[in-house]
Amino acid sequence: MKEIVVLSGKGGTGKTSISASLAILAQQEAIIADCDVDAANLHILLEANFDESKIFYSGELAEIDQELCTKCGLCSEVCQFDAIPFHNGEYKVKMLSCEGCAYCEKVCPSEAINMHKRKSGELYISEIKSNTKMVHAKLDIGADNSGKLVAEVKNRAKEIAKKENKKYVIVDGSPGIGCPVVSSLSGANYVVLVTEPTVSGLHDLERLHAVIKRFRTRSSCIINKYDINEDMSQKIERFLESEDITLLSKVPYDVNFAKAMSEAKTVVEYEIPIKQTIIDTWEKIKSEIN
Amino acid sequence: MKIALTSTGKEWSSEIDARFGRTEFIFVYDEEADSVEIIDNSAVKNEAHGAGSATAQKMYEIKPDVLITGNGPGETAAKALQKLEMKIFVDAHNLTIKEAYEKYKKGELKQL
Repeated sequence: MKEIVVLSGKGGTGKTSISASLAILAQQEAIIADCDVDAANLHILLEANFDESKIFYSGELAEIDQELCTKCGLCSEVCQFDAIPFHNGEYKVKMLSCEGCAYCEKVCPSEAINMHKRKSGELYISEIKSNTKMVHAKLDIGADNSGKLVAEVKNRAKEIAKKENKKYVIVDGSPGIGCPVVSSLSGANYVVLVTEPTVSGLHDLERLHAVIKRFRTRSSCIINKYDINEDMSQKIERFLESEDITLLSKVPYDVNFAKAMSEAKTVVEYEIPIKQTIIDTWEKIKSEIN
Repeated sequence: MKIALTSTGKEWSSEIDARFGRTEFIFVYDEEADSVEIIDNSAVKNEAHGAGSATAQKMYEIKPDVLITGNGPGETAAKALQKLEMKIFVDAHNLTIKEAYEKYKKGELKQL
């Protein structure tokens, strides 16, 4: 079983559209994982049915027992996040401000404060329209994605892939270069980078590549919308060549990308020229990985 | 020599965990004593952030001569580990603990 991670560094390059297309092309050979949890939307394109769900906890939250509280205000004083204001005669923890550091719990003279596991969202296992499964998550308001959540989504996907003898796990990776991306990369066999020919497209690609190099994961790149700035596309190609990153394909700008999106479909579900480009890309990924 | 391996399980037949920071277990083999110690890393695994540096901290407690792992360690963890006089071997994922150890003995693993 091989783990393929699709990453972009920059938003708006078409990472999720391409991940969804690859997912459709892989059919029952793959289990899909959406690790772009901050803005999860792959489930819409793949028509996930939210079959199974599980609560996800991350970090801690302070809670004050009002019966034991003597209103001394020490907790509010030491809190570095101004998370315990005095309001209507009570000290109360503001959920969105509490960082879970437990300083208040340590200093409370009447032991009125306890730390609780913080629910940060839900994890789902769904059936999708290509007759396979996908693992994804939804964050609660104010909760953030983390390496832990990404690891959990990926682990569930890998467990299912192993059990059902699948060839691939296709991961729609997290944006940026932080903790969730490191967790997306960790254990991966192959990276597909999706970029666009803009200054920030190249800049973010370089930044992301520096992180990937650390893990020595084989990587390849799709230049999406390459014809909107051919000079920049050439610059990107030179960068790929110098860093030994395989150029998988150059996808022309196509308004059908947006049309497909507005119909909650992937571009490979239409009989349009771009479909063949994506099919060729997927074939190339398979031959590189095996 | 004390050898630490990132592991998905507690046996010689368990697979190497590709991940350094979020490894399930640390399998420590002491060659002189011919003894195995298993360190459960689940507490670190449950940290939302900073798993790499937390596992690096554990390495300071174990003080192995050699670390065998998969992809990792990442940048922050690698910086922390530089202070330890420990050889790091990578790309051992998809091998069992036993296979990885044997490959290391034959000098077939890639050193970082």
